[in-house]
Amino acid sequence: MRRHFEEQIEECNARLVHMGAVAERMIEKSIQCLLERTAEGHEEVFQHEGEINNLHIEIDERVISALALQHPVATDLRLLVMATKIAGELERVGDQAVNICQNTASLLKHPPAEVLTNIPEMADVVRGMLRESLEAFVRRDVELAQKVLDTDDQADDFKDQIFFQLLGNMMTEPPTIPRALALILVSRNLERVADHATNIAEEVIYAVQGRDVRHHHEETRQSEGP
Amino acid sequence: MRHFQEELNELQRRLLEMAGLVESAIHFSVRSLTARDQEQAQRVLRSEATINQMEIEIDGLATRLLALHQPMAGDLRFLTAAIKINSDLERMGDLAVNIVERAMDLMGRPPMKPLVDIPKMAGLAESMVRKSLNAFVNRDPELARSVLLSDDAVDDLKDTVYQDLIHFMESDPSTVAAGVDLIFVAHNLERIADQATNIAEEVLFLVQGIDVRHHAETAEE
Repeated sequence: MRRHFEEQIEECNARLVHMGAVAERMIEKSIQCLLERTAEGHEEVFQHEGEINNLHIEIDERVISALALQHPVATDLRLLVMATKIAGELERVGDQAVNICQNTASLLKHPPAEVLTNIPEMADVVRGMLRESLEAFVRRDVELAQKVLDTDDQADDFKDQIFFQLLGNMMTEPPTIPRALALILVSRNLERVADHATNIAEEVIYAVQGRDVRHHHEETRQSEGP
Repeated sequence: MRHFQEELNELQRRLLEMAGLVESAIHFSVRSLTARDQEQAQRVLRSEATINQMEIEIDGLATRLLALHQPMAGDLRFLTAAIKINSDLERMGDLAVNIVERAMDLMGRPPMKPLVDIPKMAGLAESMVRKSLNAFVNRDPELARSVLLSDDAVDDLKDTVYQDLIHFMESDPSTVAAGVDLIFVAHNLERIADQATNIAEEVLFLVQGIDVRHHAETAEE
């Protein structure tokens, strides 16, 4: 019975790791399309969305059946609840990749912006957070999870810089308003990916240590900013 | 056994209490925007800590019930749905705070234009939240489905708001900062409607044991 249960948790984790890889790929591809000003990769992102949605459902079903059959307690229970929460976060990361594609599609209707601001740098930081949060989950690595929490401020700083720069452009050059707005929205999409990575990292810390770090630094960062 | 049922009732009662707080947070966030009212804004900011605290407590209670009572089938689905709805509600609370931050920023600027579609969006979003929670309490799949349908209306309104504001800003660049604030308000309202949709999908999952999450999305697109 015990052995079977461990197999169930293992299988669940393997699906989550796969789901994480799909989410990462979606973000990578959507950003690549943005930077290269093409919609050619969008179809791939949309297909992955279907896949990630199915994985979300599958993981939830696996968790519920493990809960029903095994009645786990303490740590095992926490790990299972964590699995459904992380699956929910990853599904929303996938939604953000789709949103980035949609915002890119509206950007493509306008001539290229002279500067793309710090969006490439911000995208690197955010993708790093997502990758590390998943690695922290796989290795049950609290220190790495903590690092993700600490990096969230950087993502926020990028978002603020990008916002002020584009807001300035919009005021001085009204024709840039629609595309500046689309870029602002992309930076918000990236910020939300960073938030989901942060949530995953918080779940890892909670599952491993039983320490609830949710909300503790929200006052400084949950705000949408300027 | 009776004891367990009482605890489930208690969990539902607290979830509803939290939903009430979140609903008023949304309501007063938009009121603070339309009435340019600092007092309403502060009221929402004050409720955030309570909502966060309730989320942690409800999450703890639901997890404890899972651990202690080894529930089967229906009760198990109820508990996992409760855990998710709890987290959806907390996120809505954050979105209401985002709206208040925009409202406070806008209070420092001259009024841009009369707000028509944003209050309409807010009214729809609020009613989606209320209906999704009522659907949860009454295990009402019809009501849950009506929430899924409203989501399209909110999306359409958001597109209208975006287009209007973009035109407004293009014709008068001095309104850019205020226009962007309002666009973010519309964005946050859309996300509140999305969260209500998530809750409605959880309810359908709970009531029918079938998973409609994502099916609705693809059907509607």
